[in-house]
Amino acid sequence: MRNELFTKEKKRQLSLYPRIEKIEVKYVGKSHPGSVFVMNKALSTPYNCAMHLSEWHCKKSVLALVDGEVWDMYRPLTKSCEIQFLTFKDEDPEEVNKAYWRSCAMIMACVLKRAFKDEYSVNLIKSPEVPVISGAFCYDVILDSRLNDWKPTKDNFRSLARDAGMLIHKDLPFEALHVEAKVACEMFQHNRYKMEMIKQKASQNTEGIVMLHRFGDFVDVSEGPHIPRTSFCYQYEITAAHDLQTNKSELIRRFQGVSLPIHLKAHHTVWHKLLERSKRLVTEERYLEAEDGSSETKDGTEEGKSVSI
Amino acid sequence: MRLSVAAAISHGRVHRRLGLGPRSRLDLLRNLVTALVRHERIEAPWARADEMRGYAERLIDYAKLGDTNEQAMRMANFWLTEKDLIHKLFKVLAPRFQPHPGKYTRLLQIPNRDSLDRAKMAVIELKGNPYPPLIRPRCDSEKTLLNQLLKGYREDIQRATAPRAPEGTAV
Repeated sequence: MRNELFTKEKKRQLSLYPRIEKIEVKYVGKSHPGSVFVMNKALSTPYNCAMHLSEWHCKKSVLALVDGEVWDMYRPLTKSCEIQFLTFKDEDPEEVNKAYWRSCAMIMACVLKRAFKDEYSVNLIKSPEVPVISGAFCYDVILDSRLNDWKPTKDNFRSLARDAGMLIHKDLPFEALHVEAKVACEMFQHNRYKMEMIKQKASQNTEGIVMLHRFGDFVDVSEGPHIPRTSFCYQYEITAAHDLQTNKSELIRRFQGVSLPIHLKAHHTVWHKLLERSKRLVTEERYLEAEDGSSETKDGTEEGKSVSI
Repeated sequence: MRLSVAAAISHGRVHRRLGLGPRSRLDLLRNLVTALVRHERIEAPWARADEMRGYAERLIDYAKLGDTNEQAMRMANFWLTEKDLIHKLFKVLAPRFQPHPGKYTRLLQIPNRDSLDRAKMAVIELKGNPYPPLIRPRCDSEKTLLNQLLKGYREDIQRATAPRAPEGTAV
């Protein structure tokens, strides 16, 4: 249902430009500085510009810097601008890391949504923006009340990770769409948490536009750009599920996982250590306080796990 | 069987024959060692540089014994033809390499010589020389995804093993 609305909205936005108009895109990067591409308005994407440069650019670039703003690789360009590509191995790949974490969280959300039988309802809430140093990306979910006592086992996590692996293998592209808040609300009618998030996002934005992403059949609201294709992830594991303590009546569960892209593979010894670390609960408050610069003692109320060397 | 045939085949023989004879070989290597101590980085044919490497490192080992040592002074006197370099050897190079137990030189191959002989050339340098490095190791920046995850892991371990005593004695 959401899928059809997404496709309809995409076609409508495409039909706003019945005639093809040309724009000039200037490449401001290290490899071929000053080269100018003549591209189509609202049709060509930064990925097409990378195709003009070389295959290396296509495979390595994750995001595009258009006039200083971070864009998805598959989002159509609308006016003449300056373009630059961002990869995983730049001097400052902060934006790329954040986009990768967001995409991994979205893949996990899709897997969780489809994992359970149809009779059990799964409500996705949101993906908290956690920095990469915390060690895991997370997604908050409310499961059916009958599953409140269910604790996921290692085999469950392994099957979830295998589902994610199938999605990664299918190499689905992430399509981005900017829609007005009304259309987004229509898409996510049944999920009130998403509706609240859409309204909050629309109020923050000057034009009331919300960014949606889709890969395969799954559509979700997101806070920033994503990686171009699911095949950019190489090692992907879902490691833990913690219960968040909130005042509300329903039990919010936080699912966590770790992942690494193909450009930055890790040896299995290192990978297992990172997996162990990602099983701990990741909270946002610790990092917000750390950013304020206040000295803080470590969070001793974790799940009782002590790190052994 | 004819023994002179065996003499003509040189399979597995490790000793190199440079120059016009044994004395000429030693003079060649002596000149190269002097040049290395003077300039700290020289280009030479690979075979000569490789041969000279062992002699240069043993000379530095002798220099580490100190200039009061009679044997060390005799060695330095023979191997360094320019006598002002004896001072440099004992006063500059010996203290520089005092903490290292061995391996004071670096040998890297360079493209063949441009002249007709197309000889295999190498550059030999003493470590710790003041010139810019020959090879620049290209490391990933600290902010890549993998490095950030590893940094977080290291910090966690540090925090876990940090001394507990100050927490008890505070306030």
